[in-house]
Amino acid sequence: MFRIRFHGRGGQGMKTASRILGSAFFLAGYEVQDAPRYGAERRGAPIFAYVRADHCAINERGIIRHPDLVVVADDTLVGMPAAGVTEGVNENTLLLINSHESARTWARRLNTRARILILTAMDEVEDRAELPYIGSRCAAAAAVLCGVISRDLLLAALNEELAHLPDEVVKKNRDTAVDVFENMAGEVGLVSQGGQQTANDYVRPAWITLPFESAEISNLAVHAGATSVLVRTGLWRTMRPVIDYDKCNGCWWICSTYCPDGTIDVGADGFPQIDYQHCKGCLVCVAQCPPHAIASISEQLAREQENEVAS
Amino acid sequence: MTRQSTLHFHRMKDMPSSHLLGTGTPMCAGCGGLETLHTLYDILGDKTVFVNAAGCMTLLSVYPFTPFRGGWLYTAMASAPAGAQGVRDAVDILLQKHKLQADEDVEVVVITGDGAAYGMGLSATSAAMDRKLDFIYLCYDNEGYGNTGQQYSAATPHAAITSTSKGSRGYPGYKKDLFSIWAAHNPAYVATVIAAEPLDLAKKIEKLQSLSGPRMLISLAPCPTGWDYDPQLSVEIGRLAVQTGVWPLKEFIDGELRHTRVPKQRKPVDEYLKLQGRFRHLFEPRYDSGAIAEIQARIDEYWARVVS
Repeated sequence: MFRIRFHGRGGQGMKTASRILGSAFFLAGYEVQDAPRYGAERRGAPIFAYVRADHCAINERGIIRHPDLVVVADDTLVGMPAAGVTEGVNENTLLLINSHESARTWARRLNTRARILILTAMDEVEDRAELPYIGSRCAAAAAVLCGVISRDLLLAALNEELAHLPDEVVKKNRDTAVDVFENMAGEVGLVSQGGQQTANDYVRPAWITLPFESAEISNLAVHAGATSVLVRTGLWRTMRPVIDYDKCNGCWWICSTYCPDGTIDVGADGFPQIDYQHCKGCLVCVAQCPPHAIASISEQLAREQENEVAS
Repeated sequence: MTRQSTLHFHRMKDMPSSHLLGTGTPMCAGCGGLETLHTLYDILGDKTVFVNAAGCMTLLSVYPFTPFRGGWLYTAMASAPAGAQGVRDAVDILLQKHKLQADEDVEVVVITGDGAAYGMGLSATSAAMDRKLDFIYLCYDNEGYGNTGQQYSAATPHAAITSTSKGSRGYPGYKKDLFSIWAAHNPAYVATVIAAEPLDLAKKIEKLQSLSGPRMLISLAPCPTGWDYDPQLSVEIGRLAVQTGVWPLKEFIDGELRHTRVPKQRKPVDEYLKLQGRFRHLFEPRYDSGAIAEIQARIDEYWARVVS
């Protein structure tokens, strides 16, 4: 059985990728399951979708614990516990990461024996939530790596799943997929299928694994108020609002009132401060600031600059 | 501590500058409903119990995390007002038995989406108003079943594309006039609000605090995910909803209807529609003058009645 997990951010089209791949498997004569993980499909938030495909009936249900192939659309997710990218990854797993860094760097960083491939790097975009055609790229790459789906079947599935989009958008997605098939010709069929698992083989886990978080989060006081502040929704952000205090006129805190998440408080000095641990990067403050004192910059870039300053 | 007696909202500077609702909720970036809720919570204070019907905002309190500082109760989609009755009764009994002191009294607040308010929860709401239940009801109206992928609801406006009205003309029905249906019950207070007009919102919340009985709010909640627009436009779109007359700001109190904001020069509805992906088919591949004229005519007809 092929077990494939797609990781991305809401808006990058991983649900669509899973559907395209699932339909392609189906057209190739497979029994298929494809589904996004439901619950937090928020723009910028980590999401995943999965596909199972086999020549016989699939009795497995739910989230894929031990994937044969993990496709990561956005490499900033890899280090994020909540995204669960490396969950269940072992030496039989193939990890495909969209990244500007090399496979070797990632192997060392993750300290893993899983095979790692880099999805031919794309041009950097300012807003990571809008990587162009990344869904189709990931679906096509997964199809190549599984090795049992022809280019034409993938394109047929793509047409079916994107039928509601304008023709020129579908065409660009098709071109992207064709491009992937050409560029990855040397990597056909690298995924090894995992064996069938039945309910009889199920071993009850000795404990429940939770993503590793600090004690403060894993062990919080459940009766306390406003515990949601422990959830770092700042990780969703792909664009960062930055206040230029030379331009900020300490108005009647419009940004603080309009921020849907209440992440902007006004200090004793009368000037607003953004809580980057929780700001989701909606940029309503940027759009509403009367003296245009708030600008947005790429989160990716901002983090790289911070790292440079730190080192 | 409730701050109800000290706040008076005359100008934007009176708006709260720090916020009671915890950050880190799973609501989408740019959520127009959350914007209304955090203002409501700032003004009502922490002596509140929220009763939440199934919908987007059910995800606010996912164990073990909650953004609230007090109680929160989750009910099935149709029964939030019944849940509120239970909480109200329990608190009243505890007060009567002096197990709670008068200063420990709480305000019971129902929050539901439009799916529950306009549709399956309407009968429970009607019954709660009949019983003159002392509660506040906030409907965050994003004009569809947003939490499950924006299927159309009874609040969906004409011609909007939803995941269950994908045809070239969008949703064939018309948005239900819930305000009038609620007002027909003659509750203590009914108002429409929007977070993009924070002062109007704050004044209405302040007003309903001084009343008892059923106090009903419908907040249009611009929804980047369901309406398909860039999240940073949430406030802009909300403001346009008011300026084009799509979303009249009004209140109903003591049997009288009053518009709290009458746009002097209404902007053409195009300006509101064209920013949203759910109406893109009215502008591309060509301008659908017939459909847009019909939407405009309905708005004009509404305001002609108001002004006369």
